[in-house]
Amino acid sequence: MLNNGDTILSVKDLHVKFSLRGKVLNAIRGISLDLYKGEALAIVGESGSGKSVLTKNFIGLLDKNGWVDSGEIWYYGLESGPVDLAQYKTEEDWQGFRGKQVAMVMQDPMTSLNPLKTIGWQIEEAIKLHQGLQGEEAKRKAIEILSDVGILEPERRAKQYPHEFSGGMRQRVVIAIAMACNPQILICDEPTTALDVTIQAQILQLIRNLKDKYGLTTIYITHDLGVVANVADRIAVMYAGDIVEVGTCEEVFYDPRHPYTWALLSSLPQLGIKGQDLYAIKGTPPNLFNEIRGDAFAPRNPHPLKIDFLYRPPYFDVSPTHKARTWLLDPRAPKVDPPEIIRHIQGIKLDTMDVKANGGEQA
Amino acid sequence: MLKYSIKRLARSLITLIILITIVFALLRFMPEEGYFNNYEKMSPAQIELGLIKMGLKDPLYVQVFRFIRNLLKGDLGLSYRYRVNSPIAKIIAPKIKISAKLGIICMAISLPLGLALGVLMARYKGKFWDRLGNAYIVFIQAVPNAVYFIFIQLYGSTWLKIPMLYNENDWRTLILPTISLALPSISSYAMWLRRYMVDETNKDYIKLARAKGVPNTTIWFRHVFRNAVVPIVNLIPGSLLMTISGSIYTESFYSIPGMGGLLVDVIKRQDNNMVMVLVVLFAAVGIVGLLLGDIAMALVDPRISFTKKEGSR
Repeated sequence: MLNNGDTILSVKDLHVKFSLRGKVLNAIRGISLDLYKGEALAIVGESGSGKSVLTKNFIGLLDKNGWVDSGEIWYYGLESGPVDLAQYKTEEDWQGFRGKQVAMVMQDPMTSLNPLKTIGWQIEEAIKLHQGLQGEEAKRKAIEILSDVGILEPERRAKQYPHEFSGGMRQRVVIAIAMACNPQILICDEPTTALDVTIQAQILQLIRNLKDKYGLTTIYITHDLGVVANVADRIAVMYAGDIVEVGTCEEVFYDPRHPYTWALLSSLPQLGIKGQDLYAIKGTPPNLFNEIRGDAFAPRNPHPLKIDFLYRPPYFDVSPTHKARTWLLDPRAPKVDPPEIIRHIQGIKLDTMDVKANGGEQA
Repeated sequence: MLKYSIKRLARSLITLIILITIVFALLRFMPEEGYFNNYEKMSPAQIELGLIKMGLKDPLYVQVFRFIRNLLKGDLGLSYRYRVNSPIAKIIAPKIKISAKLGIICMAISLPLGLALGVLMARYKGKFWDRLGNAYIVFIQAVPNAVYFIFIQLYGSTWLKIPMLYNENDWRTLILPTISLALPSISSYAMWLRRYMVDETNKDYIKLARAKGVPNTTIWFRHVFRNAVVPIVNLIPGSLLMTISGSIYTESFYSIPGMGGLLVDVIKRQDNNMVMVLVVLFAAVGIVGLLLGDIAMALVDPRISFTKKEGSR
C-alpha cells in the first residue's frame, strides 16, 4: 500500500507568512514533508491549521497578502530536472506549471464552475491548454473525460450549463476539469464537504479510481477522519501551521503518538460511548500572530510536560514511515499513556469508519 | 426563445394599454382650457360645442379606444396650445431625430470608453488607474452636472474656437454637448462594470480557472469581463431608446431643438393632448427598453431559461 518510490514533491522547512491588518501572521511554521509518486496523502487538522495554505504553495494560489518567508519546495516531476517552487513569484513563473503539473479540486462545486459556459467548453479549455489538442479532437477528449468521471450521456451533457447539473454531478465535472489538465499531482481541498453524505462516498471512490488508473499522486485536505480512513495511504496531522505527526494510515490511527492526534481521534463520534458526552478538545488554537514558544499544543494538552512550554520538539522517528513532533518520544520523557479511548481504536477496523457514519467536522 | 419574446411582448402591450387608460383618465381631470388656444374669449356654449366636436364628451372608454385606434394609425392628434392646431407627430419628429442623434453619438463614445475604464479599474484595483478612475467618478457623481457643463461650454468654445450654440449645419457644434453628455455616462458605465468585475474576481470559478492554468489575461477577458458584462447588456437597449427623450440641461445650454424639456414645457402650457402623447411615448420607450434588455440578457446568460424548468436539479 505504501509507496516508498520516488519523491515527487519535497517541502523543506517551509515558513509562510501573511500580512493582515498591519500584523504578520505565521501561517506555516517550518514544515518539512515528502510526497511520494502515486501515493494518497491526507492532511488533517482543524480549521485555521494551515492545511489549505500549505497546499496552495504547490500551485501558486497563495493569497496576495501571503508569501514564502523561507524554505524550499522541490518538485521532481519535470523532465528538465527539479525546480524549487518557493522561488516562483510571478504569474508568469507559474504559467505552464499550474494545472499541467498540479491540479486542484475545490470544496464547493456549486460555485466552482463558470455559470455562463458549457461544461464541455470548460473542460476543453483545460485540454487545449495542457494537452495541445484543438477543435474536434479537444471536444472528443472532453466527452471521453466526462464519461471517465461517471457522467452518463456525455455528448449531451457536455453541451449543458452548470445550472443543469446537481451538486454531486458538478463535483464530477470539477474533477473532470482537473483530469483534463493531465496533472502529476491532484490536490483535493475538502472535495466532499459541500456534498450530502450519500454522494460523498461516490466522489471519494471516483477520485480513488482515477488515481489508480492514471497513477496520480493525490493530496486530500480534510477535517473529516472518515474520509481519511477511506482513501489515504499516509496521514499528516497539522496543528497551528505545523505538521505534528505523519505516518501511514494504520500508524496514525492505531498508534498515534502526539497528544494532539490523541485529542483529534478522541473526538471521533464513532468512538463515543452511548450516553456519554462526545469528547471535545478544550481551549482554542494559538494565535498565530504571536511567536509560539515550545509545543503549540501544550496549552490545550491535559498532561503537558514542562519542556513543552519552553522548547519546540523536533521530529522523533517512531518507525521509518512514522514520525511525530512531541517531547513524549524523547528517551528521557516520562511514560505517558494515550487516553483510554485511543486504545479502543485498535478494536475498530479502519474500513468501517465509513464516511456515511461520520458526523462531520472534528475538533 | 421566440415564444418567450412573444409572451413578453404581449405582456408589455397589456402594460402599455393599462398605462394609456390611466393617464388618459387622469388627464380628463385637467382644466378644459388645455384643449383651446383662446379659452378666455370663448362663451360657455362655444366651449361645450368645441368639447363635443373633439369627442371629449363621449364616455371615457370610447375616448380611450379612439385614442388607441388613432395611435395605431400613426395619428397622434393635434397640439392645441404649444403650437396651435399642428399635428403633434410633425412637432416631435424632428426633435426626436436631433435628440437621438446626439444621444447615440454620445453612447457610441461613452460605452466603449466607460467599459474600458471599468476594466482598467478592476484589473488594477487599488492601484493608480483605479484611484484616478474613482476620483473621476466621485467628481462626476457628486458635482451637479450644470456646474461642469458651464465650464465645458465656456472654456470648450474658447479653446477649440467653435461656436457656442448648436447649428444644424456645423458638426463642430455637436462636440461640446457630446462631451457634456458623455462624461456622466462614462462614469456610470465604468463604475458598474468595475463593481461587477470585482465581484466576479472573488468567485470560486475564477480560482478554479486559475488553478487549471488559464493565463491571467485570458481569465480577465474570457471569464471575468464576459460574466460581469451581463447586467450591463441588460441596460443598453433601454439607454439607447431613452436617448430620444433628450437631456434638459445640455439641450438648453446649447439651444439644441431636441426633446429635452419638452414634456415640462407642454405641461406648463397645459397642452393636454401633447402631455398625453409624450407620456405614452416615454412609457412605451421605457417598456420596450426593459423588454429588449431582458431579451438581450437572455441571449448572453444561459441561466435565464425561456421555458419552464425541466427539473434537472
